[in-house]
Amino acid sequence: MKTLREFGRMPIALTGPALAVLLVVFGIPIVQLFLTSFNAPAFSTGNYKAFFGQPANVRVLFQTIEISVVATAICLLIGYPTAYLIVAASKRLRMALIVLVLVPYLTSGLVVTYAWIVILGDGGLINNLLVDHGLISSPLPLIYNRMAVYIGMVHIMLPMMILPLVSAMMGIDKSLMAAARSMGARPATAFWRVFFPLSMPGVRSGCLLVFVVCLGFYIAPAALGGLGDAMLSTFIASQVRSSFDMGRVAASAFVLLAVAIVVLSMVGLDLSGTSRRTAQPSLKSWHRLGEFFISYRAKRWIAQLYRAGGDGRWPQLVGIMFLALVMFYLLFPEVLVVIMSFSAGKYLQFPPSGFSLQWYESFFGDPSWYAAAWMSIQIGFMVVILSTIIGTLAAFGLNRALPRLRSFLTMAMLTPITFPVIVVGIATYLGLLKLGLLGSMTGIVLAHTIGAIGYVLVIVSASLANFDPQLEQAAMSMRAGPLQTFMRVTLPLIRPGIIGGAVFAFLHSFDEVVITSLVGGISMRTLPLKMWEDIRHQIDPTIAAVATLFILLPLVVLMILFVAGWRSTLGLQRARPVPAA
Amino acid sequence: MTLHENITRPFSENEVSEKNTVPAQIEFRGVTKMYGAVAAVKNLSLAVRRGEFLTILGPSGSGKTTVLMLLAGFVAPTKGDILIAGKSVASVPSYRRDQGIVFQSYALFPHLTVRRNLEFPLEMRGMKASDRAVQVDRMLERVHLKEFGGRVPSQLSGGQQQRVALSRALIADPPLLLLDEPLGALDRNLREQMQGEIKSLHREFGKTTICVTHDQEEALTLSDRIVVMRAGEIEQTDTPEALYDRPATQFVANFMGEANALENCGFKVESDAAPPLGTVAMLRPERICVAARGAQRRADADQRQFVTGVVEDMIYAGPLRKYQVRAGDSVLIVREHVAAGQQIFRPGDEVRLDWLRSDVRFVTA
Repeated sequence: MKTLREFGRMPIALTGPALAVLLVVFGIPIVQLFLTSFNAPAFSTGNYKAFFGQPANVRVLFQTIEISVVATAICLLIGYPTAYLIVAASKRLRMALIVLVLVPYLTSGLVVTYAWIVILGDGGLINNLLVDHGLISSPLPLIYNRMAVYIGMVHIMLPMMILPLVSAMMGIDKSLMAAARSMGARPATAFWRVFFPLSMPGVRSGCLLVFVVCLGFYIAPAALGGLGDAMLSTFIASQVRSSFDMGRVAASAFVLLAVAIVVLSMVGLDLSGTSRRTAQPSLKSWHRLGEFFISYRAKRWIAQLYRAGGDGRWPQLVGIMFLALVMFYLLFPEVLVVIMSFSAGKYLQFPPSGFSLQWYESFFGDPSWYAAAWMSIQIGFMVVILSTIIGTLAAFGLNRALPRLRSFLTMAMLTPITFPVIVVGIATYLGLLKLGLLGSMTGIVLAHTIGAIGYVLVIVSASLANFDPQLEQAAMSMRAGPLQTFMRVTLPLIRPGIIGGAVFAFLHSFDEVVITSLVGGISMRTLPLKMWEDIRHQIDPTIAAVATLFILLPLVVLMILFVAGWRSTLGLQRARPVPAA
Repeated sequence: MTLHENITRPFSENEVSEKNTVPAQIEFRGVTKMYGAVAAVKNLSLAVRRGEFLTILGPSGSGKTTVLMLLAGFVAPTKGDILIAGKSVASVPSYRRDQGIVFQSYALFPHLTVRRNLEFPLEMRGMKASDRAVQVDRMLERVHLKEFGGRVPSQLSGGQQQRVALSRALIADPPLLLLDEPLGALDRNLREQMQGEIKSLHREFGKTTICVTHDQEEALTLSDRIVVMRAGEIEQTDTPEALYDRPATQFVANFMGEANALENCGFKVESDAAPPLGTVAMLRPERICVAARGAQRRADADQRQFVTGVVEDMIYAGPLRKYQVRAGDSVLIVREHVAAGQQIFRPGDEVRLDWLRSDVRFVTA
């Protein structure tokens, strides 16, 4: 009994399973990778010298940084006004807009990339339309250039910029703007002097998140860019495939990682705090969504306040047009893919010549497709079970740990989702190699689990932070033992967080391409992997059918989150007392 | 044997010696609680009688909440022992102690209805569902919440939530009730109403009750005895009246309402006995009478001290009128009940103040 209680006072032990998995699959290998890059035990900087000695490599490095900076800047320029307009919109519209941003956020980057191939390709939508109408005779070079890379990357990253911004903007005390106005500030002045500075945390976390993810981008530049648009990830992946000189690969990976870490530390944020805030925009916005149902009038008043104090119809009209354009950009490619997947033609065409389910038949009739789908589902569920249990335990342990230890361990446990994905992939490859699990389903499950734990950890931690520990004390004071307290009080109240974590764990696994392609070997072909290979080799309209399934997935996810999270979120926030009896 | 000794052990503290035949329900023996290098509670000894309503009063940071957490079993003492009904509970986890707690935030389970909240302690004690329903019905009726059983806490007003929290703490009939700032979250009118409710529940159920608060009015109205704490130590323990009327220290005098310190005031304070060493003369504002300069003296004038002064400010506060009067080198606060035919003084008016010499108290500085 006594030892059990002693153990209970050591909640940090709950992080044990998560740390064990992370260390074995990722932590130890990345240290080994680091040592390998210096040719341990001999220790030389030869690999780095070799990397920087080749002008081509340096060019790719700078190109990677350049593309990331430009993509981040575009995301901010489009994202800030979009977020502002979303926050200023009326309650209903705002909710609808956030859902519309969440759909592409949850859609696999692979599908978005595919959609842009379909639109921009030589035989794609735009060129076909132009050729058919006799406006041009030969296809315009819309794809395989820098522009196409930006279009695809910004599309994938824009929701990740908008959501933290919306979250930060909605947290701004609304009366501050009114106060500034009451003191004689004109609308624009009030915006620049009060609103804008207060929205900076959102700008910072949005930019940081977008930039770091961009650094590790692999699919979009490889599929949409030309040979001159290679990014470091593409370069590393081809290095892995061609030579597999581990020292060289490791050096390239750590150069990429170093850039990411330098940027993170330059912005002056500790990684844990940042990741906690940035890696959960979807959760936050999902909490915000719950708030839409309350204090309608107050928000409505704000909506009018934000609308720039009766400067006429023009700004409003411009705002609506801008929002419509952004939403069109974010959603049209997805909608297009869905429509084309029902096409009756022999190849992809828009508008479709007729309705048919032929591509779905071809999907379900082809063993290589449905076997891949089945494998992805199996892996996804195993990842969900493993990461939800381990991640929830870890979240509990960290919630009750000392703040310093908590931020350090959180930072460590989130590295698989904050480090550039190609770096994680190579480290995991090394880890699974040591375990003899390369090319096995267990190996892929473990590789996906290390990232999935991060999502579970962030989301469950967020719901634990909102959980009032006095409720547990209350249960205990009523003679509920520790287990009963957990089952009857704690678990029901954080269940939305756990379900949210599980859903994100599934999505993470189901969409994963880069790591899987490295550790899957030849025999393990998951659905996104099969899709990625087919995209590169042929434009088979069957892919449109698969992509449609991928696009429907976020909608299902949003529904699950609605059912799991919203009711209780609403319940907890409906603190407006009914008139006293 | 030791058990028996503990139960019948007479009180050593002199403030309870008059009732030393009643056994102690709760006893703190030299309890110290350290948080790191900081002592939240220092060497605290305290005995609470069965059925007593004891309030622990103090400003924030005085250690009062820690005392409650120690008693509830949420924190363990660093040194010393806590006994409940004669048995040491220092190593008993809170879920094995028999007590009802009303939390400051109420800690009503937001995912359960009022009924299920009330059933919870009964369920944990293994009561059958049918018996539980009877108990819950009875309790809901008692606190006038019969029609609210199906609601979740967030659908109740603050006062209703408070009543649910009280009911939940009482329903399983624990011998001990702990209240943590029970009325802190309510507005003034509701607070007075709930004070009455708590008092009547205490009369009805006769539970030994420990209440923690920083609100001296709450403490005065509810308690049989009040413990005033300061910086982790007990400053004074007494009945509400004794505490207010005969504070032992300047801290208690100031914490329990307003007090005029008659120190370096420019006139000699008359008293019946010589002031003890190291004390300050103290006078409650309502003990001072204010009259026009040349007004006729009352019959008991020989027992009174008279000083003259100039009104600096007058504040009207409903039933009371508060004057600030400069007399000698100090400004005295005078509180007068508003009554018909009273003379009202304005700033600048010259007045005469007087008080009974026996109303002057000497408190430790």
